[in-house]
Amino acid sequence: MSAGGQALRQVELTIDGKKVVVPEGTTVFDAARLNAISIPTLCHQQNEAPVGVCRVCVVDVGARVFTAACVRAVEPGMVVTTNSEKVRRARRTLVELLMSDHPSPCARQQHSRDCELETLAKLEGITQPRFAPRSTSRGKDDSSLSIAVAFDACILCDRCIRGCNDIRGNLVLGRTGKGAQTGIAFDHNRPMGESTCVSCGECMVSCPTGALTNKGTVHAALGPDARPVTSEELLQLPVFKGVSGTFLELNKGAIVQRHFQRGDMVCREGEYGSTAFYILEGQAQVSISSPIAHVKTDGGARGFLSRLKSSLARRQEDRREEEAQQRYIPTDGPVDLAYENPVAELGPGDLFGEMTCMNYYPRSATVRAQTDCTMLEMLRNVLDILQKNKTFREQLEGTYRQRALDSHLRGVPIFAGLTDDFINHLRETVELTRYAPGEVICRQGEPADSFYLVRLGFVKVSETYPGGELVLAYLSRGNYFGEIGLLGVGQRSATCTALDHVELVRIASADFQLMMGWFPQVRRSLEAVAQERLQQNRERLSLVRSVPLDRFLAQGLMEAQSLLILNLENCTRCDACVRACADAHDGVTRLVREGLRFDKYLVATSCRQCRDPLCMVGCPVGSIRRRHSLEVIIEDWCIGCGLCARNCPYGNINLHPFEVTQGEPALPGREMAVIQQKATSCDLCTGHKEPSCVYACPHDAAHRVNPREFFARTLGSPTAGVPES
Amino acid sequence: MIFEELKAIQRQYGYLPVEQLVALSKRINTPLYRLHGVASFYPHFHLTPPARADVRVCADMSCHLRGACELRASLEQQFQGASGRDVSIREVSCLGRCDAAPGLSINDRIYTEVSDTQAEALVQSVLANETLPEPPREHGRVECASDPYRGGEKYGVLRRLVQTCDWEGVLAALESSGLPGMGGARFPTGKKWRGARAELGAEKYIVCNADESEPGTIKDRFILAHLAHLVVEGILIGGLVIGARKGYLYIRHEYAEQEKILEEEIQRCQREGLIGPRILGTDLSFELEIFVSPGGYICGEESALLEAIEGKRAEPRNKPPFPIVKGLWDKPTVINNVETFINVPQILARGVEWYKAQGQGGAAGLKFIGVSGDVRRPGVYEVPMGTPASELIFHHAGGLPEGKKLKAFAPSGPSGGYLPASMADVRMDFKSLIEAGSMLGSGALVVCDDATCMLDMALNAVKFFRNESCGKCVPCRVGSQKMVDLLTGWTQGKGSPTDYALVEDLSDALALTSICGLGQVVPAPIASVLKHFREEVEAHLLRRECPAGVCFSRAQDGAARVSGIARAT
Ligand SMILES: Cc1cc2nc3c(=O)[nH]c(=O)nc-3n(C[C@H](O)[C@H](O)[C@H](O)COP(=O)(O)O)c2cc1C
Ligand code: SF4
Ligand code: FES
Repeated sequence: MSAGGQALRQVELTIDGKKVVVPEGTTVFDAARLNAISIPTLCHQQNEAPVGVCRVCVVDVGARVFTAACVRAVEPGMVVTTNSEKVRRARRTLVELLMSDHPSPCARQQHSRDCELETLAKLEGITQPRFAPRSTSRGKDDSSLSIAVAFDACILCDRCIRGCNDIRGNLVLGRTGKGAQTGIAFDHNRPMGESTCVSCGECMVSCPTGALTNKGTVHAALGPDARPVTSEELLQLPVFKGVSGTFLELNKGAIVQRHFQRGDMVCREGEYGSTAFYILEGQAQVSISSPIAHVKTDGGARGFLSRLKSSLARRQEDRREEEAQQRYIPTDGPVDLAYENPVAELGPGDLFGEMTCMNYYPRSATVRAQTDCTMLEMLRNVLDILQKNKTFREQLEGTYRQRALDSHLRGVPIFAGLTDDFINHLRETVELTRYAPGEVICRQGEPADSFYLVRLGFVKVSETYPGGELVLAYLSRGNYFGEIGLLGVGQRSATCTALDHVELVRIASADFQLMMGWFPQVRRSLEAVAQERLQQNRERLSLVRSVPLDRFLAQGLMEAQSLLILNLENCTRCDACVRACADAHDGVTRLVREGLRFDKYLVATSCRQCRDPLCMVGCPVGSIRRRHSLEVIIEDWCIGCGLCARNCPYGNINLHPFEVTQGEPALPGREMAVIQQKATSCDLCTGHKEPSCVYACPHDAAHRVNPREFFARTLGSPTAGVPES
Repeated sequence: MIFEELKAIQRQYGYLPVEQLVALSKRINTPLYRLHGVASFYPHFHLTPPARADVRVCADMSCHLRGACELRASLEQQFQGASGRDVSIREVSCLGRCDAAPGLSINDRIYTEVSDTQAEALVQSVLANETLPEPPREHGRVECASDPYRGGEKYGVLRRLVQTCDWEGVLAALESSGLPGMGGARFPTGKKWRGARAELGAEKYIVCNADESEPGTIKDRFILAHLAHLVVEGILIGGLVIGARKGYLYIRHEYAEQEKILEEEIQRCQREGLIGPRILGTDLSFELEIFVSPGGYICGEESALLEAIEGKRAEPRNKPPFPIVKGLWDKPTVINNVETFINVPQILARGVEWYKAQGQGGAAGLKFIGVSGDVRRPGVYEVPMGTPASELIFHHAGGLPEGKKLKAFAPSGPSGGYLPASMADVRMDFKSLIEAGSMLGSGALVVCDDATCMLDMALNAVKFFRNESCGKCVPCRVGSQKMVDLLTGWTQGKGSPTDYALVEDLSDALALTSICGLGQVVPAPIASVLKHFREEVEAHLLRRECPAGVCFSRAQDGAARVSGIARAT
């Protein structure tokens, strides 16, 4: 029935000798199908508007050329032949053409034996296409977490393109190039994983061949008490809106529903994992149970060859140089924890474990069920779908703005004094952005116009020197960069690059300036900081321009408080120092007799001041970073997961076990002794009269020195420095 | 508007930087995939910075016959050591200068009849940061028999019609003249216009197809330069007849000079009140806009052309529905060739009888034909429809160069295939050429002398189609490539006895299942060569021998091989 309530006109035509009657506007393809005559096709499927590009559905309507049945409307008196020898031969040639360039069996055929092209080829009796295959591969794209792209298997049927744009309205997929070079492309021909693709899965579900296939689940342990969730159940959750049901069906094993009873442990800080959790019902508590303190080594008073004693010290008790004064500890969840009392609550709609799941970093905090809880636990491919889903993103960003942004901002020294009103305004104006691995966020020398907070992932901060690139830091959640941009005009002093999947919170300079107009007292205090910063930057830039990288690293050394140097003229490489160090530190040496050479001295500081400090990548709570001297410092909220120690190529970071007493949430009121670990690097036994290594050296080759004084001589200054011992 | 934005970016940066595309996408609220889709489709756009000297040598029929391979090889050799950032030497499809072959473009400026040394000097001057010399211009205006106004007041037909509003009379005259479309498909113009006029709806369009990009085709270039007023008058009449208020003149970007001439002609009409609101004080109104193509032969296909105006990839539409029902922005649209339009005022000014009397051998009207290839005076000639090919070749174009004999000729560039010298007396009109197994197409007579290898020529023609395929449909996208692969093998003596059957199957699939005319004519060149020059093909396959001495003789000499086959000189 048409909109006007009148019956559509009926059209009579003949298909393969059979008289048929169908409503006006019906395609020849549908008219045939309605009358049990099936016409093969590759590019046409019922839920998409036909485009008639594969031509496999051609039929003879008595014209000079054949017509594609899927796009041709019926006409009164039309005589259609779908199966003459001439039609069959043309169709067979088309399939043969496609098969000659098709990697057979393709991924789909191998996996589920349902590649539509290969199935049709078999039907047509094509085993060995007579045409030579194309000479060059069209490549593949493995960048998406959930979908594998094999361009060689693509037949350009445009089904994925229509699925993406017309059905889902995501507007990501299109055609690139022309003629024999045509291909499908995401955005401006980006790798799928770096495009604006939201992983809805529609393209993959639409693909007739192995060009777009499901990557399949990474079969990691999803708790034994888990109950698989059906795609119908998932689709009822708003956060899965717009995702293809078939796609969820294919990822069935990658998401489960779990039930936790009050007090149950969901995940433990420092543990490795590969899943993220989404709370459906109930409350959970997130906390850090490791003591918030750093390792302090004592004991020199009892004689040099005695064991040193390492103990835990809080920052209030033992102030270290350049220690962060942060008040919040970042977690891999929607909240940050207060330094003084690292406990917070999570509820329905909260997602935690993103970093663990995406990048396999250790868990940043411990989560327990506070009430009975129901949660979805998922693997990477499902998390990826969720993270890219529009509804979910809005929810995620909303939560972030409400709960974590405040603590993030307050962790930035220049923001510490901002008023609540000001922060509330910022909440509205900040923009959350995503960066793909390797993407440059800002470049050294470019004008600085925004400020960034890291919400997710690692950002590499590096400077370019005449001799190469030096990585200054790896920033993770809770860290910030680009403050210069907010303090007025200036240039970026470093290049910032996304190391993995990075999400940032951006404050545009213009927004910020606008608000400063409303809060004059904020403006005044910031202007003072700005002046200072710019001055520092100018000095640094002038330095940077002329100093080769190795010299600069050496300058870093000069800024250290003390260095261990070995006089190579005296040193016999007997390793007594290394053994002494090991003896003093529970059998683990913190000293490696290697390092930068300076004149006749080997600078054997604990930390190598690497160009690229790999130890800093992956710390789940962001508690390891560089001092100005380029040595690393481990902040008090280290959870002892040991990742940095494993990452350091020189074995210079060690884990110290400590026994601490803790309350046991499952048994309220009970205190228990547990072993906790803390990472530490050599601090050259500062605080002692002399490090054991120096004492142990039988050749008087090892010295602990103040670099400025000591090298003043080497560098030609008349004020000769004298070793301390 | 998308193209204008992209062109503006390219003017500023020399190419389309990714950041600019991303910014544009936000600014005009158009998804990136669409911007990239068109930017990567049209040859006019660069996605990466072009070389300082971006040299493109025409690779197609007429230029191929006149030494384009050697020219390219010589340039490649000269600039062998140059860095890719300084010099890039590539092939390009027909530049529309087939009568002054070989042609090449350097940084989008077109130079013709270039020798090796001239080409080298041009590149050197770019590298030395000198300004390039002005490209050669169209010769001074000549009087044409087709111009009913010669010296007198122009637009007489239009002025009269605006007063009488006798649209029915126009249709009747066109119908009784039988005026066929001159763009190749020879659809009766009167019928097309009547159909469009009958369509309901206030919004309709008329489009003049001046995309002319088929190798050997240069007649529209000539007409646009010499009879611009007839083109404009024809479009105006058509627009008023069908009830369109807006017209587009779609012109290829290599015709900058013609574009300027037309621009001036349109402005003159606007000043005289012939174009614009209230034409000559009546209630009629009409706007005419020039649309410069971002490039590619496929844009000449009428529905692809409409897609291009709409800012999309120029992929032909499935038909029906035809443009007169669902055209530009889905509104009824008439598309005609330049030469079709100039015939309209002629017929209306001089009468149907006059029109019919102009032809020869039963054909009607005057016809512009481009003659190129191995002739002494290549150029565009205005002749009675039905003039024998031999008369054009030997009389008008001065015959073949000294010492050369006619071997074959293509009456319609690559689309109509090749006919042997023995058929040279065929009349150049639609009917006669179809009977001869060819077609009049767009009136592009390309002449081959006796040093030509016909298999090489077939391969050359197929390569053009492969290069220009839009890639939308399977037979043409994949099939044209396979045809090139097969024929390339043949020119190298590689082939098997089953190849003939394979080529036949492939040809049928191309001709029967391709969406548009491009894919449908891919088989024509090789089919004609197999029909008229079969023993020449067999010599390659059975004896690994090229009778013309083109294919195997220079197998070792490097660069010329890359693009195809160099001609023995
Ligand atoms: C690949 C291809 C290219 C074409 N190029 C042109 C062209 O450059 N100019 C033209 O007038 N017609 C061209 N045509 C024909 C047009 O599609 C259309 O038939 C013509 O413009 C209609 O005008 P007419 O009826 O006046 O000939 C081309 C057709 C095809 C299939
Ligand atoms: S026949 Fe060729 S040019 Fe025409 S639509 Fe198909 S692919 Fe495009
Ligand atoms: S310009 Fe070279 S063939 Fe036309």
